Amino acid sequence: MTEEPYRWVEAIANRREYIEHQLAGGSPIAAVTYRDGVLLFTLGRERQKLFEIYDRIAMGGIGHPGDLERLRMSSIELTSTEGFARSPHDVSLRRLANYSLSPALKAAFEQIYGPPYLTRLLFAEVGRGDAPNLFLRLEYDGSIHTNGGPFAREFEQFGVVSGTALSTSLMERYLREQKLEDTTLKHAIGVALHAWLIGHLTLTDDSREDLPTHTELARHREEQLASATLEAAILERASPTPMTWRPLTDTAIRALLYEE
Amino acid sequence: MDASPVAGAAASEDFAGMLRRHGLYPPSPAATGFAAHTPAPEQTQATTILAFKFADGVLVAGDRRATAGNLVVYDRADKVLEIDSHSLMAIAGVPATAWEMARVLEHSFQFYRRSQLQEMSHEGKVRALSKLLRDNLGFVMQGVGVVVPLFATFDTDADAARLYFYDAMGAQFEAADYAASGSGSGSVRSILHYENTWGKKPLRKMKEPEAVLLALRTLDTAAETDTATGGVDRRGRVYPIVKTVTRRGIATLSEKQLARMFKEKVS
Repeated sequence: MTEEPYRWVEAIANRREYIEHQLAGGSPIAAVTYRDGVLLFTLGRERQKLFEIYDRIAMGGIGHPGDLERLRMSSIELTSTEGFARSPHDVSLRRLANYSLSPALKAAFEQIYGPPYLTRLLFAEVGRGDAPNLFLRLEYDGSIHTNGGPFAREFEQFGVVSGTALSTSLMERYLREQKLEDTTLKHAIGVALHAWLIGHLTLTDDSREDLPTHTELARHREEQLASATLEAAILERASPTPMTWRPLTDTAIRALLYEE
Repeated sequence: MDASPVAGAAASEDFAGMLRRHGLYPPSPAATGFAAHTPAPEQTQATTILAFKFADGVLVAGDRRATAGNLVVYDRADKVLEIDSHSLMAIAGVPATAWEMARVLEHSFQFYRRSQLQEMSHEGKVRALSKLLRDNLGFVMQGVGVVVPLFATFDTDADAARLYFYDAMGAQFEAADYAASGSGSGSVRSILHYENTWGKKPLRKMKEPEAVLLALRTLDTAAETDTATGGVDRRGRVYPIVKTVTRRGIATLSEKQLARMFKEKVS
């Protein structure tokens, strides 16, 4: 069947539709720049979704836990061996994503007799010195979307991942209008929560063209904060040790959120 | 990376095992008898290191000399290495092997935390070094690459400092009060035993300045009789490395502090 080009294209299209359907319910993740580094933020109910990969790299993801775990372990293995064989300075998110993860995801996606990865990942890398932060979204088919980061003009100071294309673009639309540089962690958490609420609220509704109204968001915020766990982590630019990752507990995030 | 990069590896695989799989940490030769080999060549050796428990935690110190036979190879060697925020490893023996072990150890604790999403226990860390030494046995039997380290860590669960010394085969011994290794360790142990038993106060009651002073004087005494232990080079501003591990983590004494202490109290 797949010897015929048309059938192959059809099979790929079916596969894409199937994966999109599987990912559609995924709770969004927002990563934003703030004064002291990068904040990664999400709300969840069941399991940890934000992870430390290497000294300056963090990962968040939606999708099947088994696939997320495989990609997380591969990322840690690749960066750790690189950091050991050369130096921690030689480890970069650009190389991890472009040379290792993306080709592997593409191959798994297009080899239609094998299983694809049911995931969509968000990576963040905090810049060294004055270098800009890099945010990178990696799709199940290996395609990459970045904020430009260190190898192009940095045009955005955030990165998001969500279950649907619409929800993702609405989160991005909101974040594009926010001032993120030189803001406090408290402010960044507020912005990230707002972006998350927009993304989560618009997951189930594909006909929407505009951002949700304030009333809708306020109601959603109240419901979600009452029932879900807040999860966040920061990558601290000027960390005293080479490790920049600091996870924040639900209690600590709420304290910042409600602080006057 | 192939399509299922970690499918073959158990999730609990340790870092050294993973490095071997990538060909980054060559296996040690089989442990055959000494007789099978020609005598080992003259090797660079890192010399005297010491560690003891004081009031706040553990102090670890080492001189700066590395030798090969009666040749001084290097007089600025750093033999007290930070492995993580609360662990120090001090090395005596062949630096080529020792520094590599320290690097493997440092990366393996990080790798464990990142992959398993929890800190390695202090017992686990102590065992990890033991295992690296055991894996090195083949080289030890050939007379090359012998390493005899000390490991100091702060056990946050028990809120207590821990100090271990090892033999070249990887046996680990927990030291009650002090430990020393390397060519000058004979005099170091004698002094520390004397101080601990009949000195003004036991080592564990000493405040940090007293402990640092004792460490400096002890290393100076070792350098007096052992040619392989480096003394102080004031003109070149080369002082021993002195670090402490306490509840708050690792602290390194600055060159300035050491210079002042040397001038006032040691000579």
